[in-house]
Amino acid sequence: MRRSARARPAVWLAAGLLLTLGAGSAVRLLTAADHRDSTVLTANPTQDIADVYSFQSPSDPSRFVIAMTVAGFIPPTDVATAQLSRNVLYQWKIDNDGDAVEDLVIQAFATGNDRNQVVHFRGPVAPARVGAVNDIVEGPEIGTVHLSRGAEAEVTTRRGISVFAGVRDDPFFFDLARFNQIVGGAATSFNNPGTDTFAGFNVVALAIELPAELLGGPAIGVWGTTSLMGN
Amino acid sequence: MSLFFRSIRPAGLLLAGWLAAGCADDSAPGTAPDLSQLHNRPASQVDRFGLPAIATVFIPSAQKDAFNAAQPANDRAQFTDEVVAVLTVFGHPDPAGLASALLPDIQPVNTSQPSGFLNGRRLQDDVITAELGLIFGGNAALNDDHVDQNDKPFLPTFPYLAAPFLP
Repeated sequence: MRRSARARPAVWLAAGLLLTLGAGSAVRLLTAADHRDSTVLTANPTQDIADVYSFQSPSDPSRFVIAMTVAGFIPPTDVATAQLSRNVLYQWKIDNDGDAVEDLVIQAFATGNDRNQVVHFRGPVAPARVGAVNDIVEGPEIGTVHLSRGAEAEVTTRRGISVFAGVRDDPFFFDLARFNQIVGGAATSFNNPGTDTFAGFNVVALAIELPAELLGGPAIGVWGTTSLMGN
Repeated sequence: MSLFFRSIRPAGLLLAGWLAAGCADDSAPGTAPDLSQLHNRPASQVDRFGLPAIATVFIPSAQKDAFNAAQPANDRAQFTDEVVAVLTVFGHPDPAGLASALLPDIQPVNTSQPSGFLNGRRLQDDVITAELGLIFGGNAALNDDHVDQNDKPFLPTFPYLAAPFLP
């Protein structure tokens, strides 16, 4: 019930977006894709989630894919130095019973030096602590993989679970620049064709494909988090 | 048996079985790092993401960091006022009802059904145009940003994401 009720009104997100911006909020406009959505996160791009995706494997409906992108707007010249933070815990949280509290988590964290990071994946497993403060769950890893920075994506697959971490083209697309002009009163319509403001930029992506049954469900709620590890 | 146990227990058991059959970290690239030092470092949430645009649209800049650190289970209690305020300004007929539907900020998906926004979110889903169309209906000037796909084709196999733009 909750999920179906959520689905229809969610389209109003964009209505709110446009209307809000139409009121003259230029600042919000520039952050309209969740990339760089606060001053703190803009200063710490490896903590800054750009997008979260969740979908059935296109070739096997029994398998499910979850992805997260961080550190948006990486130009080609910065790919060689792009990385994850070794002090950040990246998580997908999964609600199985509709209470908006995570029942399972999938975690990723990076080790290694700046030029040769290894990313470790654990879960899905019920975490010891839910909420704002979390711990790395007990291993073993369900997968580890080098952070890819080249055209080829290095993937590790073990026991039916595939993992990936690396710099990829930002999959998000939107004529945000034209949208900004419309909201700012400098234009009254989109261009056709439009121009993808995110074209040519990269993100650091984390992705996992696994048997859907490991996620519980089939009705689940998914969200991504980044958390700063204490010393 | 409650939904909770139907869904959670089998998943946990399945993973245990998955790992028990061969859990040696035989594919770990490079030298195994000392991970023990990571286990006593409680991690505090700094960002979160469920559905596209919730935080961006409805949460004022001054509260953005608080929203990013907050828990979905508390969203209705903490952020309903902000969402209602924005919706009210623009004359939505039922700001409170809609706010209740938009929060908590979680991406719902039924893994047994074909995916596509709003049942999960695929890489190729044109979220922006879908939303513009629902808002502006037949207003052709505003109901499509005419960016219908990513700047690179996605891969047919994992990880699906397109290769980066390199120097």
